[in-house]
Amino acid sequence: MTSLKFKTTVVLAALCLLLSASNGLAANATDQMKGTIENILSVLQDSSLKGSDKQEERRAKIREAIGKRFDFTEMAKRSLGKHWKKRSPAERKEFAELFADLIEGSYIEKIENYSDEKVIYGNEQVKNNKSKVKTKIISSKGTEISVQYKLLNRSNDYWRVYDIVVEGVSLVSNYRTQFGKSLSSSSYAELVDKLRSKVN
Amino acid sequence: MDVKRLLAISALAIALLIIGAQELFAAGSKLTIDEIRTSIEANADGASEAAADEASGEPSEDSYDDDFNDEFDDEFAEEIKSIWDPIEPVNRAMFVFNDKMYFWVIKPAARGYNFVVPEKGRVAVDRFFTNLTTPVRFVNSILQLKLGKAGSEVVRFVINSTVGVLGFMDPARDRWNIYLHDEDLGQTFGRYGSGPGFYLVLPLLGPSSVRDGVGMAGDLFLKPTTYIFADDHLAALGVTAYENFNSVSLKIGLYEGLKKDAIDPYSYIRDSYHQYRENKVKE
Repeated sequence: MTSLKFKTTVVLAALCLLLSASNGLAANATDQMKGTIENILSVLQDSSLKGSDKQEERRAKIREAIGKRFDFTEMAKRSLGKHWKKRSPAERKEFAELFADLIEGSYIEKIENYSDEKVIYGNEQVKNNKSKVKTKIISSKGTEISVQYKLLNRSNDYWRVYDIVVEGVSLVSNYRTQFGKSLSSSSYAELVDKLRSKVN
Repeated sequence: MDVKRLLAISALAIALLIIGAQELFAAGSKLTIDEIRTSIEANADGASEAAADEASGEPSEDSYDDDFNDEFDDEFAEEIKSIWDPIEPVNRAMFVFNDKMYFWVIKPAARGYNFVVPEKGRVAVDRFFTNLTTPVRFVNSILQLKLGKAGSEVVRFVINSTVGVLGFMDPARDRWNIYLHDEDLGQTFGRYGSGPGFYLVLPLLGPSSVRDGVGMAGDLFLKPTTYIFADDHLAALGVTAYENFNSVSLKIGLYEGLKKDAIDPYSYIRDSYHQYRENKVKE
């Protein structure tokens, strides 16, 4: 009798542990985004990584943090819109890589100047497997920039960014317009060439 | 005085006409991806795409195919955002002019200025002018019935003009977390349903629209500098030029970054401006 009670307690305790563990895993999009932003800020603030001679090391660390959170393939796909479908898997892969380099490069260049920023997190909107995380960056110069991240949860509550909206300006929809215009007047190969020249 | 008033009224009337004329366009451009898809499905022939094109500039470029659309159909579906640009050749010419002015004149001058005046000083000057234009933000908040924002503008003005030493510092924000609310007449017009009219690139001032340009002119009546230098137009112009130059000196590198990201800088900046302003109106 006592052993049964004991067994039940053990099973219950194990269940509780499991539940709390899975709850811990199911961190929401804001927490995950916060982790990434804090990670990047800590790299930018790390005094051992400051200066132009440490640029490569610093950028590699930022790139790693961004790469884990940003879904560049999804961004590239959405930016190309209907034209994505017409591309072969190899072309898609190439395009996504180019696009990732472009965004990473411009993003890193911009944030490198900001290290003493305050980031304020607003409320989060979730619908099905998508969520919007609103943030506000307050710079030491006194400017306030609203940055909204749109995230997609494909599996295991792992949220990844598929669009960034800065002051109401969506990165993806702007690139979609740009790519659309370019493709309506010139070929896909030319667009890829243009992107390549931007990246290098 | 009467002539001035007549000019102002006729300018406003023309602007309203233009804004009215583009309502059609605005209705077209607000088509969501869904609506376009439905219209394409309804008229399975190629003519429908042409019709959609006509209605809103060039949505067929931006709209997804059916399959693609189905995959992402939800409330996150983005609206197609573009602004009417009937005078694109003129705007493009002005864009090139501004671009050259920036790289050849303003940027070198700002470099020298930045060398002489440290960033802290320039930030203080920027704050001083920002504090001075409180009436613009206050009146437009009132006009849009945003009384909370109007109130916080008054509190900011009182704190920053006194504790903040004539507005050179921003203790209202730094110590009391009272933030600035950027409101102007262009946003007020937008709030009451006015579309942007069409896209305008102003000399030196850059991206604007009929609505925002008229708003900017109207806001001049709420700027203290207009009255302080009422009899000396050259001095008023000089002060405004300095205000803008100082503000630009704090943003060197921003335009270069935008240009670098874009495939076609002109349309990239135009679309960004439009989205930025529409977002401001919504806020």
